[in-house]
Amino acid sequence: MSSIWQNYNTENAYDELMFSEFQPRAVSHGLCQYLNLLNKEDIDKRKTAAELAIIEMGITFTVYSDEGNIDRAWPFDIIPRIIDAREWRYIEQGLKQRLTALNCFISDVYLDQNFIKDGGIPGDIIHSSKNFRKECVGMRPRYDAWANICGTDLVRDKDGVMYVLEDNLRVPSGVSYMLENRVITKRVFPELLQNCNILPIDDYPTQLHEMLSSIAPDQNSRPQIAVLTPGIYNSAYFEHAYLAQQMGAQLVEGSDLMVDDDDCVYMRTIEGLEKVDVIYRRIDDDFLDPEVFRKDSVLGVPGLMRAWKAGNVALANAPGAGVADDKVVYAYVPDMIRYYLNEEPILPNVKTYLCSDKEHLDYVLAHLAELVVKPANESGGYGMLVGPHAAAKEVEAFRKIIRKNPRNYIAQPTLSISTSPTLCKDRLQPRHIDLRPFILQGENTFVTAGGLTRVALKKGSLVVNSSQGGGSKDTWIINMENN
Amino acid sequence: MLSRSAERLYWLARYLERTENIARLVSVHMNLLMDLPKGVEMGWQQLIDINGCRQSFRERYNSAQERNVTRFLLTDPTYPNSLFSCLGYARENIRTSRELMPDEAWEQVNEMYLYTRENLDCITSRRSRVLFLNEILEGCQRFTGLLSGYMSHDHPYQFIRLGRNVERADMTSRILDLGSLLLSESRSAEMRQYESILWMNILQSLNALLMYRRHVRSRIKGDDVLNYLLLDKNLPRSIGCCLAEIADCIERLPNHDALSGKVVELENYLQSIDMQQTTQLQLRHILDRLQNKLGVLHENISNNWFLAAPVETALASQTQTCSEQK
Repeated sequence: MSSIWQNYNTENAYDELMFSEFQPRAVSHGLCQYLNLLNKEDIDKRKTAAELAIIEMGITFTVYSDEGNIDRAWPFDIIPRIIDAREWRYIEQGLKQRLTALNCFISDVYLDQNFIKDGGIPGDIIHSSKNFRKECVGMRPRYDAWANICGTDLVRDKDGVMYVLEDNLRVPSGVSYMLENRVITKRVFPELLQNCNILPIDDYPTQLHEMLSSIAPDQNSRPQIAVLTPGIYNSAYFEHAYLAQQMGAQLVEGSDLMVDDDDCVYMRTIEGLEKVDVIYRRIDDDFLDPEVFRKDSVLGVPGLMRAWKAGNVALANAPGAGVADDKVVYAYVPDMIRYYLNEEPILPNVKTYLCSDKEHLDYVLAHLAELVVKPANESGGYGMLVGPHAAAKEVEAFRKIIRKNPRNYIAQPTLSISTSPTLCKDRLQPRHIDLRPFILQGENTFVTAGGLTRVALKKGSLVVNSSQGGGSKDTWIINMENN
Repeated sequence: MLSRSAERLYWLARYLERTENIARLVSVHMNLLMDLPKGVEMGWQQLIDINGCRQSFRERYNSAQERNVTRFLLTDPTYPNSLFSCLGYARENIRTSRELMPDEAWEQVNEMYLYTRENLDCITSRRSRVLFLNEILEGCQRFTGLLSGYMSHDHPYQFIRLGRNVERADMTSRILDLGSLLLSESRSAEMRQYESILWMNILQSLNALLMYRRHVRSRIKGDDVLNYLLLDKNLPRSIGCCLAEIADCIERLPNHDALSGKVVELENYLQSIDMQQTTQLQLRHILDRLQNKLGVLHENISNNWFLAAPVETALASQTQTCSEQK
């Protein structure tokens, strides 16, 4: 093997591409053969080309704490992550099953609450969730699909099994980076892409457009679709603009919209007011409508909830869908699948301790140094404790925080999440990765072929979030059967 | 189309046109100064005067030497009408309008911006300044060509055309101000001697020299040049042509009734001008009126299409034009 593989250590975790320093897995044979034909200089050239493409294409994200510099180049690793299509088909089924059950659950929560009545989940978990919106009780979105766009985080543990880490049902982001990563890879490794049998991913915008059309209130005319963004200072603004552009939809800010006395939503255009039928909103519930939620919100649209409840506009995801995006509720998803679908879960959960449960709490407090503790409602990797990597002082601080508000915390064993070869200086090194596929549900259900692979670029780090030093990789689902 | 988006595209086009104009002005001026002997009352100061930014310049620099003037006009980030600032505003406007444009359009503007940022220092040397300016001019032309070939000629496109031509008409009227210097009764003997070179320079600043030769077919004379640059219907940078383009854009946009009349008025005023035997004072007067009327037209456009949205216009309209008076 060429020297870029020197000392590639696969002993500490499952490696997605390699059995060992010298032996690639079956799916990565093509890639490895190709890489072995390249010397360090060739690799360097490709890396530079990718960086240049990212800057020229203006693929950026924003970090909240960065002032002045509002966009940062997207950190990208040129070595793709690969999954066998046979395994992927199985995962895809699992993801569809999961979102279907989650949507059944959200519908049930806002209608009859049968799952609670039948003892499936304690009622106070739901009613104390800050994402439970009483304003949504009794609503029936089209196809009972509340969560229309879901980003589910998957990780592979040392045992080789893919686990679901969390379901992001509020405003999951990352799909534009998934698409752009492929565009960059096509520029950097055109020879390679042609020879491997990789499933295409570029139909996502079309599928998204179709899903959004399918939930429009009036199915008899072509719907006017808008992407509602908090504006250019939002970390995912690039994505909002990208998706609107790819779908040919309007990109609107709150101030572009208004709700008239007829409870319909209009946008202010050069031709006057124009009715909007479907809003793909990328604003949290809290900021959506100052008449109903936070009064100080200037991002939202006054009256939007009125219009939604009157059935004059579809919102994706539906307000209140976040009730299922809660790390405590997460623990009950396998039971939901059994309850609503009468099926066994295809994808397993990670073992989860609920601090609201006395027995679990005791266990968690006794084993803090081995566990990962997460707040139930945060995203972006903020406010969590990785026990084995934390200083004793930090662990003690967390102990107090958990005791104060046990409902708000869950704990999981520290997984040894899988690694994938990542270019570090001029050598390949194993780095920890996760995977976020995107699932759409309206009239039909659709799963992206692969998803966004995020990689923790720092040695040994398990935190993959771009806001905390993570990067990303192109994800290849390779069909081995016709190869 | 959203009012906010319309406004951003309009300003995008204005800022890019301004970028291109600055680049061309500096480039032509450099060539001119190489031809002129010392002592002619034409130097780097005139570039500051054309842009109507004497005060901003004085606040930042002591003397109007080449080094200061080029830095001020091209790369000074504190001067909102420098090429670098304009390109920055253009980039910000297109970055927030990407969903309306082909990807290549954003990439083109982004590349130009990054290129400028990388080369801020190299403009001090004349040789690399020439290369830099060429790169910018070509970049702006690529952008225009790319939109013409790749973008649907629908409402967003018309707002870009509109912004471009409003800005262009404004800049042409400023360049014609240079002519008033040439008509001055008190001009020096040297100036009289080099007069036709100076008129050629004005034509060149507007890419009009060869066209002038073909269409006017006379030796280069002041009043002919002025008439040509004001009234010609085919020269892309003549004010007459810009107004015709503006009128055409307005007709293609919805809710234009209130505006059509205003443009016709402006066109009629223009056609009533005759530059034969014009004095310096008369020319000044005509150009001032023309610039004011263009300012009013901009306001009408803005009231008609952009005001529907109560936007934070800070992003779109950093500074209108060079509003300082000379």
